Amino acid sequence: MSFLTIENIKKSFDNETVLHSLNLSIKEGEFITLLGPSGCGKSTLLRTIAGLIHQDEGKIHIDGKDVTEVKPKDRQVGMVFQSYALFPNMTVQENIEFGLKMKKLDKETVKQNAAKIVELVELTGKEKSYPRELSGGQQQRVALARSLVTRPKVLLLDEPLSALDAQIRKNLQKQLRSIQQELNMTTILVTHDQEEAMAVSDYVYIMNKGQIAQSGTPHEIYTRPVNEFVARFIGNYNVLTREEVSNLFKGEKNFKNKMYAIRPEAFSEDRILDGYEISGKIQKTSMLGNITRFELEANHVSFIADRLHKIDEDAQKQETKTLYLNRKDVIPLS
Amino acid sequence: MKKPFYHYITIGIVLLYLLIPLLGTFQYSFATSWHKTILPEGFTIKWYVELFGDLRFLKSLGRSLVMSLGATILTLVIMVPAIFSIVLYAPKLEKMIQSLIVMTYAMPGIILAVGLIRAYSTSGISMVLITIGAYFVGILPYMYQGTRNSLRNINAESLMEAAEILGASRYTAFQKVIVPNIISGILVSSLLSFSILFGEFVLINLLVGGHFETVQIYLFQKLSQSGHIASAIVVCYFLLISILSAIMIKMTRKKKEPV
Ligand SMILES: Nc1ncnc2c1ncn2[C@@H]1O[C@H](COP(=O)(O)OP(=O)(O)OP(=O)(O)O)[C@@H](O)[C@H]1O
Ligand SMILES: [Mg+2]
Repeated sequence: MSFLTIENIKKSFDNETVLHSLNLSIKEGEFITLLGPSGCGKSTLLRTIAGLIHQDEGKIHIDGKDVTEVKPKDRQVGMVFQSYALFPNMTVQENIEFGLKMKKLDKETVKQNAAKIVELVELTGKEKSYPRELSGGQQQRVALARSLVTRPKVLLLDEPLSALDAQIRKNLQKQLRSIQQELNMTTILVTHDQEEAMAVSDYVYIMNKGQIAQSGTPHEIYTRPVNEFVARFIGNYNVLTREEVSNLFKGEKNFKNKMYAIRPEAFSEDRILDGYEISGKIQKTSMLGNITRFELEANHVSFIADRLHKIDEDAQKQETKTLYLNRKDVIPLS
Repeated sequence: MKKPFYHYITIGIVLLYLLIPLLGTFQYSFATSWHKTILPEGFTIKWYVELFGDLRFLKSLGRSLVMSLGATILTLVIMVPAIFSIVLYAPKLEKMIQSLIVMTYAMPGIILAVGLIRAYSTSGISMVLITIGAYFVGILPYMYQGTRNSLRNINAESLMEAAEILGASRYTAFQKVIVPNIISGILVSSLLSFSILFGEFVLINLLVGGHFETVQIYLFQKLSQSGHIASAIVVCYFLLISILSAIMIKMTRKKKEPV
């Protein structure tokens, strides 16, 4: 049963179409990520769901109710902005209570709910501080708490972690995911960061030019890209044309698709039965932390292959290396 | 780093140049008589007693206050929400406001006054109201600039969106979130507007003149009668403006320091 449905949403700004008949459906309690290059319409989609932008066409249903024409304040969605948009004139406590007060709940309920959320996001002791007195990570948690406290039906997060450094970001990702699961909150996260998308979400939607290029679990997206855009966008896939793959695997003729993708770590140094065998010349070797990346050339086709870093690295430039590849790791793209 | 002493000399000369007339006026307003001596012959507060005993002065003071405050409050109540709405929801109209504001600079007081007299003197509308209207337009640039900068500083658009998503109506969001954050900026522009209007002479003198005596007109007339009383008025006026400036400085300071 779908909890949030987006049907054929279209939106243009001054003749530039930003969302092309976009469809999306999310189950209750699911955590999905919108991942895509800058300017592909992620924020526009999120703001349309929140009602801050009015779509040109299409419908939005939340929890079985058509909210297409409902004002943002009555949509029961929560949103965390990249800039946090905390109210500077209010303390942490007042910021968090704002949404509850708007609901005209009685004082005691407001206090109790706020206290619970403050504890959940680990801001105890900071209630009386003003936003400008907090660190970036703390401000981010206030913004999250402020949205969560009203128990919205859908939580929208627009790159909430992008302004933070890597360490805090990783911690907050974990925290975000566990809070989301604890509250069983249907959540849409927008991000640029593939690792973040893969780490936290149930489903990933790859967006390109106002359309969904592919959707699936992080595992599916990563191991089975369906088209060239996704293959190029995710990981460091070798994206090769039909001619290039034929050349690479001399003798193989039955490649029908226009494009193919091969994960760099799919290449193996151990023989694989019934696989492809390639001898490539090493053009360049680079160390990427725990993996070593080889840029190779075989039969005039350049490609990259990764392998776990070994202590006694021996590969030399111009040296020839024999690699093996499973047939199923040559992924046809549409 | 130690500054060379001629810096201090220059600053000292400038300060003297600026302060001596003030000091002179100040002393003159307390002097019994001051003709052939370097310093006044004696000091008295009788000019102040006379000034504040004059009903005409008190009335003109009241009129000045009403005019300046009235125009400032009117601008505040009408223009702040208007500028807010235009900046956030109709940014295309902002160009019009800007050209309107340039026009107020292009119009010298005399021309404005003559124009207003020709346009309205036979219309039956009280010229006092017309003057308030002209004041309203006159202080637009300060109010516009102040409001707009404050809105920009706080990133009003995303605050409004955040408040709306949290369930606030636009009106509530404006009142609870926007106003408290721009109020100090707006008060500064209001005080500035108020002190400019309080000292305004050209328009009020030409448009209503003797019918409606404000402090400036009263001062102008006293100038030819008693220098002592005129000085006392200037001192009072100066005091008032100093207090207003002090409040303004204090308010702009407070904004920057963390509480
Ligand atoms: N209010 C607007 N007026 C005109 N064009 C807009 C407006 N908002 C967005 N756009 C355009 O719509 C396109 C998509 O913008 P959007 O903000 O949705 O991108 P995004 O995917 O969120 O990008 P990023 O990852 O950089 O945040 C952009 O080309 C942008 O110029
Ligand atoms: Mg965006």
